[in-house]
Amino acid sequence: MNGMSNQTNAENNNFSVYEVFSQKTVSASFVHQFSLLAPNAEVALSMARENFLRREPCFNLWVVKRDDILGLAPEERPFLERLDNKSYRETRGYGDLQGRWRHHKEEFEAKHNTGSGS
Amino acid sequence: MQTSLEHSHLTEDAKLEAFLARIDRDEKIEADDWMPDDYRSQLIKLISMHGISEIMGAFPEKEWVPKAPTLRRKLAIMAKVQDEMGHGQLLLRVAEDLIAPLGKTREDLMLDLFAGRLKFHNVFHMETPTWADAGVIGWLVDGAAIITQTMSLDTSYAPYARALQRICAEEKFHAQHGESIVLDLAEGTEEQRQMLQEAITRWWPSLMMFFGPPENGNITSNQASNMRYKIRTQTNEELRQIFLKKYLPRIFHLGFTVPDETIHFDEAEDKWVYQQPDWEEFKQIIKGKGPRSAHRLHLREMSYEETKWVRDAILSYGRQVG
Repeated sequence: MNGMSNQTNAENNNFSVYEVFSQKTVSASFVHQFSLLAPNAEVALSMARENFLRREPCFNLWVVKRDDILGLAPEERPFLERLDNKSYRETRGYGDLQGRWRHHKEEFEAKHNTGSGS
Repeated sequence: MQTSLEHSHLTEDAKLEAFLARIDRDEKIEADDWMPDDYRSQLIKLISMHGISEIMGAFPEKEWVPKAPTLRRKLAIMAKVQDEMGHGQLLLRVAEDLIAPLGKTREDLMLDLFAGRLKFHNVFHMETPTWADAGVIGWLVDGAAIITQTMSLDTSYAPYARALQRICAEEKFHAQHGESIVLDLAEGTEEQRQMLQEAITRWWPSLMMFFGPPENGNITSNQASNMRYKIRTQTNEELRQIFLKKYLPRIFHLGFTVPDETIHFDEAEDKWVYQQPDWEEFKQIIKGKGPRSAHRLHLREMSYEETKWVRDAILSYGRQVG
């Protein structure tokens, strides 16, 4: 395991790193703000307000103990890069559609002698 | 955070080569990435000094909270002091993740400060005898800090860059807060103008020291390695010139002077030519021998000691509730 927080100093032993997330409005997603050092989640929550929300509007707030988050090791992160052969999953893989619809419309209009909108 | 793979089994040389290649590609480094020891130690030195300076930087202005001339000014300077402590919290967090693999914590940084091993910025060792000093700190000291920090937004160490994004946004408020105080005094009575002129004169040598000694063509090994690692991109002197170009005209536009009769703009060289401050004095100041160093360190230490029972109580409560 490649744990990121190894608190070893005796006096600091019970302080933990908390990651802070906030939500600007009810319809917004939670966004990671930063981290802080706190003795427990309750204190972390009130420190989060003091540290990160002195000005910004905020609808809701989370703190999560960093040790409870499982993330990717640096060596694994490059595998997140997507191969560039997934156009069938994306709208850019279907860029020909509009032109084809236009073509059919124009053919129809030529055949029936109708202008657009008439 | 936990991650689930051991670091790949490369030789140290191969790791260093791969690291430098990442730096050359302008990639950013994260706290859990492999990094050379001297990259880590340069970052620790820089970021812990920056973090502690934010905290010690609250002291000169906090002296003016009870004496601010209006309620609005009092609220604004309180907000600024609070911001500085907040910036300290952000930066110490970044430093903690860097020192954690060395078995050190924030506690060690505080003890280093009290023992004089961890230095803070020269400007925060100085006196603030008048309200105009509070204005000049916001206008010119924060103005200088914004120049350094804007450069550092591009730093190769991603957690530092993220902290600085938050910090820079708030520093802009600080500079405007200072400008507002300064303009009020500059547009005020003769007495107010004189108070402001005296504050500018008093702060000038400290401001010239702010960015550190000039390189004179000899970049120190520290600066060279910080630039190789893209921790910083500009030299002390380049930053000082940006500061002079921005602020000297404004000082003159208000009809004030700086205590340097030789200062002039060299059009051909496109730079300000100025008298060097006393760099020996600079060394003494950051060693903790400035006019207010001992007093402010004592306040910091006292507050640390006197709040120990609060930390102990919270920890004991935390243990009880699990």
